[in-house]
Amino acid sequence: MDLTGGLVARSGSGGMCRESTGLESLHLVDEFRQLVTLPSENAGGSFTALLELPATQAVELLHFTDSSSSQAAVNGIGGDIAPPPLHSFGTLTFPSNSALMERAARFSVIATEQHNGNVSGETTTSSVPSNSSANLDRIKTEPAETDSSQRLISDQIPCPIQNNRSGKRKDFEKKVRSSTKKTKSSEENEKLPYVHVRARRGQATDSHSLAERARREKINARMKLLQELVPGCDKIQGTALVLDEIINHVQSLQRQVEMLSMRLAAVNPRIDFNLDTILASENGSLMDGSFNGTAMQLAWPHQAIETEQSFHHRQLQPPPPHQWPFDGLNQPVWGREEDQGHGNEHNNLMAVSENVMVGSANLLHPNQVKTEL
Amino acid sequence: MASANKTINTDVPAKDIFALHFLQSLSNLRIQNPLNSPEETTDRVKKIKMAAYISMARAAGGTNRLWSRALLRRASKENNKINRFSRRKRKVTWQISSERRGRRSSNRRAPVVEEVAERLRNFVPGGGGMETSKLMEETAHYIKCLSMQVKVMQCLVDGLSPK
Repeated sequence: MDLTGGLVARSGSGGMCRESTGLESLHLVDEFRQLVTLPSENAGGSFTALLELPATQAVELLHFTDSSSSQAAVNGIGGDIAPPPLHSFGTLTFPSNSALMERAARFSVIATEQHNGNVSGETTTSSVPSNSSANLDRIKTEPAETDSSQRLISDQIPCPIQNNRSGKRKDFEKKVRSSTKKTKSSEENEKLPYVHVRARRGQATDSHSLAERARREKINARMKLLQELVPGCDKIQGTALVLDEIINHVQSLQRQVEMLSMRLAAVNPRIDFNLDTILASENGSLMDGSFNGTAMQLAWPHQAIETEQSFHHRQLQPPPPHQWPFDGLNQPVWGREEDQGHGNEHNNLMAVSENVMVGSANLLHPNQVKTEL
Repeated sequence: MASANKTINTDVPAKDIFALHFLQSLSNLRIQNPLNSPEETTDRVKKIKMAAYISMARAAGGTNRLWSRALLRRASKENNKINRFSRRKRKVTWQISSERRGRRSSNRRAPVVEEVAERLRNFVPGGGGMETSKLMEETAHYIKCLSMQVKVMQCLVDGLSPK
């Protein structure tokens, strides 16, 4: 059942058979329809409705032996589905799925063959339940491909061209399989520590080139990431130019930081850098800066800007594990202990954080900050 | 290759965290130079810039990212303080040591890319010891963090500048 596997995989990945546009998928659509119609004869009813089924349901019906329930399913969908351009194969009973596959594979290849006048006669002689006779009549007048395929089925003789068909099917299977292998190998590259890459057709298979190819793919993936990040990089072709652009972007960002720090330094001595008052005025701009604190939990209930004393009280209430980890923070950076007024500093910094968060309705959970650090 | 994006995680914390860290470091600066503002503005600029980078490194993930570790290490070296790094499986190499360049010469792949990657390494902190693919990951994260930090500083400057 390799063909079914390949077919299912492809159609499953491609979504609805109807909507796929590639040539291969068109083949798949035809094949699926072929596959689906064959068991439908057992169910009778509006079997042609089965042909428009989505892939999963079609697969289910392929393995379905209970005619009554399948018929119910068919009737359920039958109302809103137009008659597809495929034949009913009422006369033909297929013992196993493998035979169905073979036929279906052949059909896709010969879908464009000429119409044969004998076919209509055969269809009328088919012993189809009465409720499908209407469909049969409809289908009799339908295009050539269906009749030709039906002709092949009704022949039931191993024709000399069968070998060619099976050969073509094998090629198709190989194509399907190799494509899935390609994707598989590229996926495996990213997941496993050891790279298991299967060589594609027409490429060297020594370990060095394989490893190189794997790494190149990795690099290309990350390059795509970077391209999305840097504005204006999608249009550029060629990795070197893209990387140049990225370097320029990083440089410009660093220069911006420097510029802004100069501006900050210029601003600071002018205004009395009293954190509380400044941040009170700056709350407006910060709110405009769209702070989003969605990821943070509410440590304390959010209230309006408080005075230092009340803030101090509130700070003391949470238990010690919630204490702001300032000591750990400050030491490594500035190498100086905060000798003057630890408590005051805590107050100021808490006020800072509190006022910063005023724009957003959430407060930073101290534990979360700890984990961040 | 869509699945590859899922395995590469370049998430950056929200703006608040960056703002918080930066303000903390600024207030620290204020403590150290309480009321007598030094006349050498270049000194202040350097300090503020350092504060910006360090707060960014901390906000962006502390010691979990290679570039941030390199930044923090560099800063602590300047201040003669030793950072406590959490234990990691991979050895984190330090950018300043140029002996790593000998190892990197073994990168004989796609010389065009490698050439440009060299230039990138000069800009991204901690880039000296990384392979090209890792370097790109770090660069992506670094760019995100940098832009976030720039936004925060812009907001601050706009808020503080006289109307």
